[in-house]
Amino acid sequence: MIRNFFIYLAILAVGILFFASMVLFAIPALQESTLVLPGIKQSEYGSGDGTIDRASLERDISKLQAKLDKLTPADAYIIINTSENHFYLYKGKQMIRHGLCSTGKNERLVSEERNKEYVFFTPQGVKTVKGKQKNPVWAKPNWAFIEEGLPIPPPGDPSRFESGTLGAYKLTLGDGYMIHGTIYKRFIGQSVTHGCVRMLDEDLEAVYNTLQVGSKVYIY
Amino acid sequence: MRIWRLYTIHCKSVQKFIFISMKNHSDEGFDSLFEKKSNGAKNFAIVFFVIVIGLTSVYTYLSVGVVRDRMQVAKSQVEGAVSVDPSLIDLMKQKAWVESLIKMAAGDSVGLSIDLEQLTIQLELKGVVVMKSKIRDYSTSGFFRRMDGNVYFSTFGSPLTIVKFESSIEKNPFKVVIAPKNEAEAEAAVAKKDSVLDENVFWTVKFDRDFELNIQGIDSIAEAQSKYKLGKGFEFERDLRNIAKSFEHILKFSKPVYTPEILISIPENEAKAILRALPRKALVTIRI
Repeated sequence: MIRNFFIYLAILAVGILFFASMVLFAIPALQESTLVLPGIKQSEYGSGDGTIDRASLERDISKLQAKLDKLTPADAYIIINTSENHFYLYKGKQMIRHGLCSTGKNERLVSEERNKEYVFFTPQGVKTVKGKQKNPVWAKPNWAFIEEGLPIPPPGDPSRFESGTLGAYKLTLGDGYMIHGTIYKRFIGQSVTHGCVRMLDEDLEAVYNTLQVGSKVYIY
Repeated sequence: MRIWRLYTIHCKSVQKFIFISMKNHSDEGFDSLFEKKSNGAKNFAIVFFVIVIGLTSVYTYLSVGVVRDRMQVAKSQVEGAVSVDPSLIDLMKQKAWVESLIKMAAGDSVGLSIDLEQLTIQLELKGVVVMKSKIRDYSTSGFFRRMDGNVYFSTFGSPLTIVKFESSIEKNPFKVVIAPKNEAEAEAAVAKKDSVLDENVFWTVKFDRDFELNIQGIDSIAEAQSKYKLGKGFEFERDLRNIAKSFEHILKFSKPVYTPEILISIPENEAKAILRALPRKALVTIRI
Protein backbone atom coordinates (compact mmCIF):
# COMPACT_ATOMS: atom_id res chain seq x y z
CA MET A 1 0.00 0.00 0.00
CA ILE A 2 2.82 2.41 0.93
CA ARG A 3 4.61 1.50 -2.30
CA ASN A 4 1.53 2.34 -4.35
CA PHE A 5 1.08 5.56 -2.44
CA PHE A 6 4.58 6.61 -3.47
CA ILE A 7 3.89 5.65 -7.08
CA TYR A 8 0.85 7.96 -7.16
CA LEU A 9 2.83 10.63 -5.37
CA ALA A 10 5.61 10.39 -7.97
CA ILE A 11 3.07 10.66 -10.82
CA LEU A 12 1.58 13.71 -9.17
CA ALA A 13 4.99 15.31 -8.58
CA VAL A 14 6.03 14.76 -12.20
CA GLY A 15 2.76 16.32 -13.37
CA ILE A 16 3.22 19.35 -11.16
CA LEU A 17 6.86 19.74 -12.21
CA PHE A 18 5.85 19.51 -15.85
CA PHE A 19 3.21 22.19 -15.42
CA ALA A 20 5.53 24.44 -13.39
CA SER A 21 8.30 24.22 -15.97
CA MET A 22 5.82 25.00 -18.74
CA VAL A 23 4.53 28.06 -16.89
CA LEU A 24 7.97 29.33 -15.84
CA PHE A 25 10.04 28.57 -18.92
CA ALA A 26 8.34 27.09 -21.97
CA ILE A 27 5.28 29.34 -22.23
CA PRO A 28 7.21 32.62 -21.71
CA ALA A 29 9.72 31.43 -24.32
CA LEU A 30 6.90 30.67 -26.71
CA GLN A 31 5.31 34.06 -26.02
CA GLU A 32 8.59 35.75 -26.83
CA SER A 33 9.27 33.79 -29.97
CA THR A 34 8.87 35.55 -33.28
CA LEU A 35 6.17 33.07 -34.29
CA VAL A 36 3.64 34.65 -31.98
CA LEU A 37 4.48 38.25 -32.86
CA PRO A 38 3.71 38.36 -36.58
CA GLY A 39 3.04 41.31 -38.81
CA ILE A 40 5.15 43.78 -36.87
CA LYS A 41 8.10 44.98 -38.83
CA GLN A 42 10.95 47.14 -37.63
CA SER A 43 10.55 49.48 -40.64
CA GLU A 44 7.03 50.66 -39.77
CA TYR A 45 8.26 53.73 -37.94
CA GLY A 46 6.28 56.91 -37.58
CA SER A 47 6.25 60.05 -35.50
CA GLY A 48 2.81 61.50 -36.08
CA ASP A 49 4.41 64.36 -38.00
CA GLY A 50 5.08 63.98 -41.71
CA THR A 51 6.98 67.29 -42.07
CA ILE A 52 10.06 66.28 -40.06
CA ASP A 53 13.43 66.40 -41.80
CA ARG A 54 16.94 65.55 -40.63
CA ALA A 55 18.19 69.14 -40.32
CA SER A 56 15.29 70.33 -38.16
CA LEU A 57 15.58 67.26 -35.98
CA GLU A 58 19.28 67.87 -35.39
CA ARG A 59 18.59 71.53 -34.58
CA ASP A 60 15.89 70.54 -32.07
CA ILE A 61 18.14 67.98 -30.40
CA SER A 62 21.04 70.40 -29.93
CA LYS A 63 18.68 73.03 -28.45
CA LEU A 64 17.16 70.50 -26.08
CA GLN A 65 20.57 69.14 -25.11
CA ALA A 66 21.78 72.66 -24.31
CA LYS A 67 18.69 73.19 -22.15
CA LEU A 68 19.38 69.93 -20.33
CA ASP A 69 23.07 70.75 -19.80
CA LYS A 70 22.17 74.10 -18.25
CA LEU A 71 20.42 72.27 -15.42
CA THR A 72 23.79 71.13 -14.04
CA PRO A 73 25.33 73.99 -12.01
CA ALA A 74 28.42 75.54 -13.57
CA ASP A 75 29.79 76.51 -10.13
CA ALA A 76 30.58 74.20 -7.21
CA TYR A 77 28.11 71.66 -5.87
CA ILE A 78 28.18 68.47 -3.84
CA ILE A 79 26.37 65.14 -4.15
CA ILE A 80 25.74 63.00 -1.06
CA ASN A 81 24.92 59.30 -1.42
CA THR A 82 23.13 58.34 1.82
CA SER A 83 22.93 54.66 0.93
CA GLU A 84 26.69 54.17 0.60
CA ASN A 85 27.76 57.20 2.67
CA HIS A 86 29.85 58.79 -0.06
CA PHE A 87 30.24 62.38 -1.15
CA TYR A 88 31.26 63.77 -4.54
CA LEU A 89 32.41 67.39 -4.77
CA TYR A 90 32.13 69.10 -8.15
CA LYS A 91 33.49 72.36 -9.49
CA GLY A 92 32.90 73.55 -13.06
CA LYS A 93 31.15 70.23 -13.83
CA GLN A 94 34.34 68.32 -12.89
CA MET A 95 34.54 66.07 -9.86
CA ILE A 96 37.38 67.44 -7.75
CA ARG A 97 37.09 65.29 -4.65
CA HIS A 98 35.18 62.30 -3.35
CA GLY A 99 35.27 60.25 -0.21
CA LEU A 100 33.42 58.76 2.70
CA CYS A 101 30.99 60.58 4.93
CA SER A 102 28.34 59.59 7.45
CA THR A 103 24.64 60.23 7.06
CA GLY A 104 21.39 59.68 8.96
CA LYS A 105 20.86 56.41 10.77
CA ASN A 106 17.16 56.07 9.83
CA GLU A 107 16.01 55.67 13.37
CA ARG A 108 13.02 56.76 15.41
CA LEU A 109 13.95 57.47 19.03
CA VAL A 110 11.06 57.19 21.46
CA SER A 111 11.54 58.77 24.88
CA GLU A 112 11.35 56.45 27.87
CA GLU A 113 7.95 57.85 28.83
CA ARG A 114 6.77 57.22 25.20
CA ASN A 115 5.53 60.80 24.95
CA LYS A 116 8.17 62.18 22.57
CA GLU A 117 9.58 60.96 19.27
CA TYR A 118 12.63 62.05 17.33
CA VAL A 119 13.26 60.91 13.77
CA PHE A 120 16.86 60.72 12.57
CA PHE A 121 17.37 60.59 8.82
CA THR A 122 19.05 62.65 6.10
CA PRO A 123 16.34 64.13 3.87
CA GLN A 124 16.74 63.50 0.15
CA GLY A 125 16.42 66.19 -2.50
CA VAL A 126 18.13 69.44 -3.43
CA LYS A 127 19.31 71.73 -0.61
CA THR A 128 21.37 74.90 -0.70
CA VAL A 129 24.16 76.01 1.60
CA LYS A 130 22.52 78.61 3.83
CA GLY A 131 25.54 79.55 5.90
CA LYS A 132 29.17 78.74 6.72
CA GLN A 133 30.97 78.93 10.05
CA LYS A 134 34.45 78.21 11.40
CA ASN A 135 34.97 76.59 14.82
CA PRO A 136 31.28 76.01 15.44
CA VAL A 137 29.85 75.34 18.88
CA TRP A 138 27.22 72.63 19.09
CA ALA A 139 24.06 73.61 20.93
CA LYS A 140 22.87 70.18 22.04
CA PRO A 141 19.17 69.60 21.42
CA ASN A 142 16.94 67.61 23.83
CA TRP A 143 17.33 64.34 21.94
CA ALA A 144 21.08 64.33 22.60
CA PHE A 145 20.35 64.02 26.33
CA ILE A 146 17.47 61.57 25.92
CA GLU A 147 19.65 59.34 23.77
CA GLU A 148 22.38 59.26 26.42
CA GLY A 149 19.95 58.54 29.23
CA LEU A 150 20.68 61.92 30.84
CA PRO A 151 18.24 64.40 32.36
CA ILE A 152 17.30 67.28 30.02
CA PRO A 153 18.86 70.56 31.22
CA PRO A 154 16.99 73.87 30.88
CA PRO A 155 17.53 76.00 27.74
CA GLY A 156 20.77 78.02 27.89
CA ASP A 157 22.33 75.66 30.43
CA PRO A 158 26.15 75.48 29.93
CA SER A 159 25.93 71.67 29.56
CA ARG A 160 24.09 72.21 26.27
CA PHE A 161 27.10 73.78 24.54
CA GLU A 162 30.05 71.79 23.24
CA SER A 163 33.09 73.05 21.35
CA GLY A 164 35.00 70.80 18.95
CA THR A 165 32.25 68.19 18.52
CA LEU A 166 31.33 69.54 15.06
CA GLY A 167 34.94 69.82 13.88
CA ALA A 168 36.57 72.93 12.46
CA TYR A 169 33.77 73.98 10.08
CA LYS A 170 30.05 73.71 9.54
CA LEU A 171 27.85 74.44 6.53
CA THR A 172 24.18 74.84 7.39
CA LEU A 173 21.54 73.45 5.00
CA GLY A 174 18.38 74.61 6.76
CA ASP A 175 15.88 72.81 9.02
CA GLY A 176 18.69 72.04 11.49
CA TYR A 177 20.68 69.94 9.02
CA MET A 178 24.41 70.60 8.53
CA ILE A 179 27.61 69.36 6.96
CA HIS A 180 30.22 69.25 9.71
CA GLY A 181 33.19 67.39 11.14
CA THR A 182 33.25 64.78 13.88
CA ILE A 183 35.22 63.45 16.80
CA TYR A 184 33.88 59.94 16.05
CA LYS A 185 36.11 59.36 13.03
CA ARG A 186 35.87 55.56 13.22
CA PHE A 187 32.19 55.78 12.25
CA ILE A 188 32.84 57.62 8.97
CA GLY A 189 31.30 55.63 6.13
CA GLN A 190 28.43 54.40 8.29
CA SER A 191 24.83 55.57 8.68
CA VAL A 192 25.13 56.81 12.25
CA THR A 193 24.20 60.48 12.35
CA HIS A 194 21.03 62.21 13.45
CA GLY A 195 20.51 63.58 9.94
CA CYS A 196 23.57 65.78 9.44
CA VAL A 197 26.40 64.88 7.09
CA ARG A 198 29.66 64.20 8.91
CA MET A 199 33.05 64.35 7.18
CA LEU A 200 36.71 63.79 7.95
CA ASP A 201 38.76 66.95 8.67
CA GLU A 202 40.56 67.24 5.31
CA ASP A 203 37.42 66.52 3.28
CA LEU A 204 35.45 69.01 5.33
CA GLU A 205 38.05 71.70 4.77
CA ALA A 206 37.96 71.12 1.00
CA VAL A 207 34.16 71.20 0.97
CA TYR A 208 34.13 74.34 3.14
CA ASN A 209 36.59 76.12 0.85
CA THR A 210 34.86 75.03 -2.37
CA LEU A 211 31.17 75.52 -1.61
CA GLN A 212 29.77 79.01 -1.22
CA VAL A 213 26.56 80.18 0.38
CA GLY A 214 23.91 79.31 -2.22
CA SER A 215 25.79 76.27 -3.58
CA LYS A 216 23.61 73.27 -4.30
CA VAL A 217 23.69 70.09 -2.22
CA TYR A 218 22.13 67.06 -3.92
CA ILE A 219 21.20 64.32 -1.49
CA TYR A 220 19.93 60.90 -2.55
CA MET B 1 0.24 27.93 -0.86
CA ARG B 2 -2.56 27.30 -3.34
CA ILE B 3 -0.42 24.63 -4.98
CA TRP B 4 0.18 23.05 -1.62
CA ARG B 5 -3.55 22.98 -0.91
CA LEU B 6 -4.27 21.43 -4.32
CA TYR B 7 -1.48 18.97 -3.72
CA THR B 8 -2.91 17.95 -0.31
CA ILE B 9 -6.41 17.53 -1.74
CA HIS B 10 -4.98 15.39 -4.52
CA CYS B 11 -3.01 13.24 -2.09
CA LYS B 12 -6.12 12.68 -0.01
CA SER B 13 -8.11 11.53 -3.05
CA VAL B 14 -5.31 9.17 -4.07
CA GLN B 15 -5.25 7.69 -0.56
CA LYS B 16 -9.05 7.32 -0.61
CA PHE B 17 -8.84 5.61 -4.00
CA ILE B 18 -6.28 3.12 -2.66
CA PHE B 19 -8.30 2.47 0.47
CA ILE B 20 -11.55 1.82 -1.44
CA SER B 21 -9.75 -0.48 -3.89
CA MET B 22 -8.24 -2.45 -1.00
CA LYS B 23 -11.65 -2.83 0.59
CA ASN B 24 -13.35 -3.98 -2.63
CA HIS B 25 -10.72 -6.59 -3.29
CA SER B 26 -10.21 -7.83 0.24
CA ASP B 27 -11.32 -11.38 -0.72
CA GLU B 28 -8.80 -11.75 -3.51
CA GLY B 29 -5.28 -13.04 -3.19
CA PHE B 30 -2.37 -10.72 -2.55
CA ASP B 31 -0.71 -11.24 -5.96
CA SER B 32 -3.80 -10.44 -8.02
CA LEU B 33 -4.41 -7.46 -5.80
CA PHE B 34 -0.91 -6.15 -6.46
CA GLU B 35 -1.31 -6.69 -10.19
CA LYS B 36 -4.56 -4.69 -10.22
CA LYS B 37 -2.90 -1.91 -8.21
CA SER B 38 -0.13 -1.68 -10.81
CA ASN B 39 -2.72 -1.41 -13.57
CA GLY B 40 -4.57 1.21 -11.50
CA ALA B 41 -1.41 3.28 -11.17
CA LYS B 42 -0.76 3.00 -14.89
CA ASN B 43 -4.29 4.08 -15.74
CA PHE B 44 -4.12 6.87 -13.23
CA ALA B 45 -0.82 8.05 -14.71
CA ILE B 46 -2.26 8.03 -18.24
CA VAL B 47 -5.46 9.87 -17.30
CA PHE B 48 -3.54 12.32 -15.10
CA PHE B 49 -1.01 13.19 -17.79
CA VAL B 50 -3.68 13.52 -20.47
CA ILE B 51 -5.47 16.01 -18.21
CA VAL B 52 -2.25 17.90 -17.37
CA ILE B 53 -1.15 18.08 -21.00
CA GLY B 54 -4.65 19.10 -22.10
CA LEU B 55 -4.88 21.88 -19.55
CA THR B 56 -1.35 23.04 -20.29
CA SER B 57 -2.14 23.16 -24.01
CA VAL B 58 -5.22 25.28 -23.39
CA TYR B 59 -3.21 27.55 -21.12
CA THR B 60 -0.42 27.83 -23.71
CA TYR B 61 -2.94 28.76 -26.39
CA LEU B 62 -4.46 31.45 -24.17
CA SER B 63 -1.00 32.76 -23.16
CA VAL B 64 0.08 33.11 -26.76
CA GLY B 65 -3.17 34.80 -27.73
CA VAL B 66 -2.82 37.37 -25.02
CA VAL B 67 0.54 38.56 -26.45
CA ARG B 68 -1.12 39.21 -29.81
CA ASP B 69 -3.90 41.11 -28.02
CA ARG B 70 -1.36 43.23 -26.12
CA MET B 71 0.40 44.17 -29.34
CA GLN B 72 -2.89 44.96 -31.06
CA VAL B 73 -3.95 47.23 -28.18
CA ALA B 74 -0.61 49.06 -28.38
CA LYS B 75 -0.96 49.49 -32.15
CA SER B 76 -4.57 50.66 -31.95
CA GLN B 77 -3.51 53.44 -29.56
CA VAL B 78 -1.31 55.01 -32.23
CA GLU B 79 -3.54 54.43 -35.24
CA GLY B 80 -3.45 57.21 -37.84
CA ALA B 81 0.10 58.35 -37.06
CA VAL B 82 2.07 59.28 -40.17
CA SER B 83 5.01 57.12 -41.16
CA VAL B 84 8.38 58.78 -41.74
CA ASP B 85 11.72 57.92 -43.25
CA PRO B 86 13.12 55.01 -41.19
CA SER B 87 16.59 56.58 -41.47
CA LEU B 88 15.43 59.34 -39.11
CA ILE B 89 14.32 57.00 -36.40
CA ASP B 90 17.54 57.22 -34.36
CA LEU B 91 17.38 61.03 -34.35
CA MET B 92 13.73 60.92 -33.35
CA LYS B 93 14.54 58.52 -30.52
CA GLN B 94 17.33 60.85 -29.40
CA LYS B 95 14.95 63.82 -29.41
CA ALA B 96 12.28 61.91 -27.48
CA TRP B 97 14.93 60.83 -24.96
CA VAL B 98 16.23 64.36 -24.26
CA GLU B 99 12.69 65.77 -24.13
CA SER B 100 11.73 63.11 -21.64
CA LEU B 101 14.81 63.86 -19.47
CA ILE B 102 13.88 67.56 -19.42
CA LYS B 103 10.31 66.74 -18.38
CA MET B 104 11.65 64.48 -15.62
CA ALA B 105 13.95 67.27 -14.39
CA ALA B 106 10.95 69.54 -13.84
CA GLY B 107 9.99 67.51 -10.74
CA ASP B 108 11.56 67.88 -7.28
CA SER B 109 12.15 64.18 -6.73
CA VAL B 110 14.86 61.78 -7.73
CA GLY B 111 14.21 60.23 -11.15
CA LEU B 112 15.75 57.29 -12.98
CA SER B 113 17.01 57.25 -16.55
CA ILE B 114 17.85 54.00 -18.31
CA ASP B 115 19.72 54.08 -21.58
CA LEU B 116 19.93 50.61 -23.09
CA GLU B 117 21.82 51.99 -26.10
CA GLN B 118 24.67 53.36 -24.00
CA LEU B 119 24.17 50.70 -21.29
CA THR B 120 23.88 53.23 -18.48
CA ILE B 121 21.46 53.71 -15.64
CA GLN B 122 21.41 57.07 -13.88
CA LEU B 123 19.76 58.68 -10.89
CA GLU B 124 18.90 62.28 -11.63
CA LEU B 125 17.82 65.14 -9.43
CA LYS B 126 16.57 68.31 -11.09
CA GLY B 127 18.48 67.38 -14.25
CA VAL B 128 21.77 66.70 -12.43
CA VAL B 129 23.17 63.20 -12.68
CA VAL B 130 23.79 62.20 -9.07
CA MET B 131 24.66 58.56 -9.74
CA LYS B 132 25.70 56.71 -12.87
CA SER B 133 26.08 52.97 -13.20
CA LYS B 134 27.11 50.73 -16.06
CA ILE B 135 24.54 48.10 -17.00
CA ARG B 136 26.28 44.73 -16.90
CA ASP B 137 23.61 42.71 -18.62
CA TYR B 138 20.02 43.16 -19.77
CA SER B 139 17.17 41.50 -21.57
CA THR B 140 13.88 42.78 -22.89
CA SER B 141 10.62 41.10 -23.83
CA GLY B 142 9.95 40.48 -27.50
CA PHE B 143 7.24 43.13 -27.25
CA PHE B 144 9.89 45.86 -27.07
CA ARG B 145 12.01 44.41 -29.83
CA ARG B 146 9.04 44.11 -32.16
CA MET B 147 7.30 47.41 -31.45
CA ASP B 148 7.07 49.87 -34.33
CA GLY B 149 8.05 53.53 -34.13
CA ASN B 150 4.65 54.84 -33.13
CA VAL B 151 4.26 52.30 -30.34
CA TYR B 152 7.81 53.12 -29.23
CA PHE B 153 7.10 56.84 -28.93
CA SER B 154 3.79 56.31 -27.17
CA THR B 155 5.57 54.04 -24.67
CA PHE B 156 8.89 55.84 -24.12
CA GLY B 157 8.25 59.33 -25.50
CA SER B 158 7.61 60.81 -22.05
CA PRO B 159 8.62 59.82 -18.51
CA LEU B 160 6.95 56.73 -17.10
CA THR B 161 5.51 56.74 -13.60
CA ILE B 162 6.09 53.89 -11.17
CA VAL B 163 2.79 52.53 -9.89
CA LYS B 164 3.98 49.48 -7.95
CA PHE B 165 7.19 48.65 -6.09
CA GLU B 166 8.33 45.23 -4.84
CA SER B 167 11.76 44.36 -3.51
CA SER B 168 13.69 41.53 -1.92
CA ILE B 169 15.08 43.93 0.70
CA GLU B 170 13.33 46.61 2.68
CA LYS B 171 13.03 49.81 0.65
CA ASN B 172 13.34 52.28 3.50
CA PRO B 173 14.48 50.46 6.63
CA PHE B 174 13.69 52.37 9.80
CA LYS B 175 14.56 51.30 13.33
CA VAL B 176 12.53 52.24 16.38
CA VAL B 177 14.64 52.69 19.51
CA ILE B 178 13.36 53.25 23.04
CA ALA B 179 15.50 55.79 24.86
CA PRO B 180 17.83 54.30 27.50
CA LYS B 181 16.94 54.81 31.16
CA ASN B 182 20.45 55.84 32.15
CA GLU B 183 24.04 56.27 30.94
CA ALA B 184 24.95 52.61 31.52
CA GLU B 185 22.11 51.42 29.30
CA ALA B 186 23.09 53.98 26.63
CA GLU B 187 26.68 52.70 26.57
CA ALA B 188 25.49 49.09 26.27
CA ALA B 189 23.34 50.08 23.26
CA VAL B 190 26.33 51.71 21.53
CA ALA B 191 28.46 48.60 22.06
CA LYS B 192 25.85 46.36 20.39
CA LYS B 193 26.46 46.31 16.64
CA ASP B 194 24.38 45.02 13.78
CA SER B 195 25.73 42.12 11.77
CA VAL B 196 26.39 42.54 8.06
CA LEU B 197 23.75 40.74 6.02
CA ASP B 198 24.33 38.85 2.81
CA GLU B 199 21.53 40.46 0.83
CA ASN B 200 20.05 39.30 -2.41
CA VAL B 201 19.11 42.60 -4.05
CA PHE B 202 16.28 42.24 -6.53
CA TRP B 203 13.52 44.76 -7.11
CA THR B 204 10.75 45.18 -9.55
CA VAL B 205 8.50 48.07 -10.51
CA LYS B 206 5.38 48.29 -12.61
CA PHE B 207 4.78 51.35 -14.76
CA ASP B 208 1.66 53.27 -15.67
CA ARG B 209 2.11 52.00 -19.25
CA ASP B 210 1.63 48.41 -18.14
CA PHE B 211 5.05 46.85 -18.24
CA GLU B 212 7.65 45.93 -15.66
CA LEU B 213 11.24 46.76 -14.93
CA ASN B 214 13.26 44.25 -12.95
CA ILE B 215 16.59 45.24 -11.46
CA GLN B 216 18.90 42.62 -10.06
CA GLY B 217 22.06 43.27 -8.13
CA ILE B 218 24.98 41.13 -9.25
CA ASP B 219 28.66 41.01 -8.46
CA SER B 220 29.74 39.36 -11.72
CA ILE B 221 28.44 38.56 -15.20
CA ALA B 222 28.49 34.86 -14.33
CA GLU B 223 26.09 35.60 -11.51
CA ALA B 224 23.74 37.40 -13.89
CA GLN B 225 23.77 34.51 -16.32
CA SER B 226 23.06 31.90 -13.66
CA LYS B 227 20.75 34.14 -11.74
CA TYR B 228 17.79 31.82 -11.43
CA LYS B 229 18.20 31.25 -7.72
CA LEU B 230 15.56 28.71 -6.82
CA GLY B 231 15.05 29.00 -3.11
CA LYS B 232 16.32 32.58 -2.92
CA GLY B 233 13.24 33.94 -1.22
CA PHE B 234 11.99 36.78 -3.38
CA GLU B 235 12.32 35.19 -6.84
CA PHE B 236 11.07 31.83 -5.57
CA GLU B 237 7.98 33.45 -4.07
CA ARG B 238 7.31 35.28 -7.35
CA ASP B 239 7.58 32.02 -9.29
CA LEU B 240 5.21 30.28 -6.90
CA ARG B 241 2.75 33.13 -7.25
CA ASN B 242 2.97 32.85 -11.05
CA ILE B 243 2.29 29.12 -10.97
CA ALA B 244 -0.65 29.64 -8.61
CA LYS B 245 -2.05 32.38 -10.86
CA SER B 246 -1.71 30.09 -13.88
CA PHE B 247 -3.69 27.38 -12.07
CA GLU B 248 -6.34 29.95 -11.31
CA HIS B 249 -6.58 30.96 -14.97
CA ILE B 250 -6.81 27.33 -16.02
CA LEU B 251 -9.57 26.56 -13.54
CA LYS B 252 -11.50 29.64 -14.67
CA PHE B 253 -10.62 29.18 -18.36
CA SER B 254 -9.67 32.86 -18.38
CA LYS B 255 -6.91 34.57 -20.36
CA PRO B 256 -3.67 35.10 -18.46
CA VAL B 257 -2.10 38.56 -18.27
CA TYR B 258 0.91 39.37 -20.43
CA THR B 259 3.22 41.99 -18.97
CA PRO B 260 6.32 42.81 -21.02
CA GLU B 261 9.49 43.05 -18.94
CA ILE B 262 12.91 44.66 -18.96
CA LEU B 263 15.50 42.92 -16.82
CA ILE B 264 18.66 44.83 -15.94
CA SER B 265 21.70 43.63 -14.00
CA ILE B 266 23.88 46.18 -12.23
CA PRO B 267 26.33 45.98 -9.31
CA GLU B 268 24.58 45.00 -6.10
CA ASN B 269 25.47 48.11 -4.07
CA GLU B 270 24.22 50.36 -6.88
CA ALA B 271 20.99 48.37 -7.24
CA LYS B 272 20.48 48.93 -3.52
CA ALA B 273 21.35 52.65 -3.66
CA ILE B 274 18.87 53.24 -6.52
CA LEU B 275 16.14 51.29 -4.72
CA ARG B 276 16.61 53.37 -1.56
CA ALA B 277 16.79 56.68 -3.44
CA LEU B 278 13.76 56.31 -5.71
CA PRO B 279 10.45 57.63 -4.42
CA ARG B 280 7.51 55.22 -4.62
CA LYS B 281 5.90 57.15 -7.49
CA ALA B 282 9.16 58.10 -9.20
CA LEU B 283 9.47 59.13 -12.83
CA VAL B 284 11.56 56.95 -15.11
CA THR B 285 12.87 57.65 -18.61
CA ILE B 286 13.89 54.75 -20.81
CA ARG B 287 15.64 54.52 -24.17
CA ILE B 288 15.84 51.17 -25.94
